[in-house]
Amino acid sequence: MVSPRQRLLFFKGVRSTLFYLLVITIALIIILPVFFIVSLSFLTTHEAYSYPLPLLPGVTSKFSLTHGERGYLLSVYDRVAGEYETVLDTDDLEKMSVYMKNRLGTTVSIEELEQQINRLANEDPVYFSMRTDLLHNYKLFFQITRDAVPSLIRSLQICALTVLISLSVGGLAGYAFARYMFFGKDMMKFSVLFVRMFPAIAIAIPMVIILAGMGFYDQPIGLALVYSIGNIALTTWITASIFMSIPESLEEAAQVFGATRLQAFIKTTLPLALPGLAAAAMYAFIGAWNETVSALILTQFNPTFSVVVYQSLVGATGQVNLAAAGGIVMAIPALLFTFIIRRYIQQMWGGVTV
Amino acid sequence: MDLAGRSHQNRNISKQLLPYFLVIPALIFYVLFWLRPVLQQFIDSFTNEAGQFTLNNYRLVFSDPDFGIALANTAIIVVISVVLEFFLALFLALLINRNFRGSSIFLFLVLIPMALPAVAVAAMWKTGLTTNGWVNSMLMYVGVLDVGEKIYWLAGSRWKMLALIIIIDAWQVIPSVMIILLAGLQNIPRETEEAGYVFGGNYLTVLRKITIPILGPTIQTAVILRLIAAIQIWLIIIVLIGFSRVPVLVERIVYYEKEVPRLEVSPLLVAGYTIIVTVIVSIAAISYLRVSGAFSRRDAEVEDGVA
Repeated sequence: MVSPRQRLLFFKGVRSTLFYLLVITIALIIILPVFFIVSLSFLTTHEAYSYPLPLLPGVTSKFSLTHGERGYLLSVYDRVAGEYETVLDTDDLEKMSVYMKNRLGTTVSIEELEQQINRLANEDPVYFSMRTDLLHNYKLFFQITRDAVPSLIRSLQICALTVLISLSVGGLAGYAFARYMFFGKDMMKFSVLFVRMFPAIAIAIPMVIILAGMGFYDQPIGLALVYSIGNIALTTWITASIFMSIPESLEEAAQVFGATRLQAFIKTTLPLALPGLAAAAMYAFIGAWNETVSALILTQFNPTFSVVVYQSLVGATGQVNLAAAGGIVMAIPALLFTFIIRRYIQQMWGGVTV
Repeated sequence: MDLAGRSHQNRNISKQLLPYFLVIPALIFYVLFWLRPVLQQFIDSFTNEAGQFTLNNYRLVFSDPDFGIALANTAIIVVISVVLEFFLALFLALLINRNFRGSSIFLFLVLIPMALPAVAVAAMWKTGLTTNGWVNSMLMYVGVLDVGEKIYWLAGSRWKMLALIIIIDAWQVIPSVMIILLAGLQNIPRETEEAGYVFGGNYLTVLRKITIPILGPTIQTAVILRLIAAIQIWLIIIVLIGFSRVPVLVERIVYYEKEVPRLEVSPLLVAGYTIIVTVIVSIAAISYLRVSGAFSRRDAEVEDGVA
């Protein structure tokens, strides 16, 4: 006989098992695509073009060498198929070395290849394994993608300028919002929100002519100005809520002790506000780093990094493993910053509705 | 800004003026780089080359054979993805709000897609959905596909492409909808829902009669913010399927501005399309601000001023 208590426990067990199955399924749906693009970015070009794709990148690659019609026959071990696959037949060792570097992700000097070939006298075929250069897609992406390195530097410049402009201009306005009542305050709060929601493309299109007139078209400062429009609004809101949470009495106390208003602000409020200001700065940074549509429209010969990655994807001729590497480089700062400021994300959404 | 040496009266006036000094940089910035370009664009869209008033730009847009399709595609994507994303996000938020063992790690994982730039997400699915990509590889490993069998994800009808776009879009943006709903859920006092159970309600009745109504304003916030973003979808479409196959409004602007900028009609079409997108998004934004109460507080101030 099964007691009612046992039955209850059984059903509870089934329920929590089903519950965790559901949770794990959802987690997998989110994690798997991320896992695959990371894995793909470490695969060698040869592997990236095999089907099915290997699930994980290999740390070492196994090769075999034997005599071929044109010289030496190079084969590489295919981990998915479980057998050696012939990839090259040549007597030009320099060509073989270059091929192994570009297609097989392995850096081999000509001397090392000669060593292996000398072994052919005793044994045929010769087997050897080499370490795979896991970062070779990343190196190759920056080598062969036109503008990749300068655009990366340019993007960082634009992000820094955007942070500088939006934090100084938005921070001042945020302080005024937090500490003072003034005519038109709510009207300005409203416009700040409206500007934040305004479509980026509707600012970028007319900005082409305006920036060209200022000599800022296709320049980092031009894009920084455009990105600052939305980010000043955001910084104003974030900094206003930070300054509101710091009691004004601290500044007043400092002034009683003889500090000027500015000194009081710098000595009391500013240090307390720093973590929040850093979060606001990171938001501005990520916003500017991720943006593509304005960058596409407002640049011509000096694209941002996001435009370069976008173009390598649209071109469709690009290699998938290189596209994956570009995508990962694009994602790293955003992921890093987002998880630093994770605590503030909820606060901010809360701030939008309040 | 050393005010110590000034007279009391001076000091009072400058204290009153201080907030204006603080907001003036922002104000100037907005006038120069937001108001001016937007007004300019608006005026340009109603003038011809000779500077006279004309409706020609809009006539041109409306007679563009792709306009109707772009508008319809945008509407389909917006409606389906907003509804789909809302329900899945609500489901996720309710799940995480149960505070089960491991829910904080789960929240951490769920937030990952939100942190990824659109270009990185596009790279992820572009490499995944090609015929030799990781999606087919994975399906083969788990046994859904036979050896050598492949699914041609990126070929096919308009409806298949739309479905694909909606699913990928949902993958990326559900977390951002979820986080708003979760914040709202966490603000509901436990006792409110417990009262519902005390009076004999089951999970679904409590959800329907108590939780959702209290969550109302939060839901409106989440949905309208999503709406605004969904109207502007373009990048994932161009990367996955290219220009002009599944035209949407913003994609048309990018197309005429960057792909065929030398066509005589291109600048005119760009001007027209841009204003149309602006108007649609602005309507959504204003309705959001109305819902979130930004208007009511402004009205209150106006009334105060009258009194």
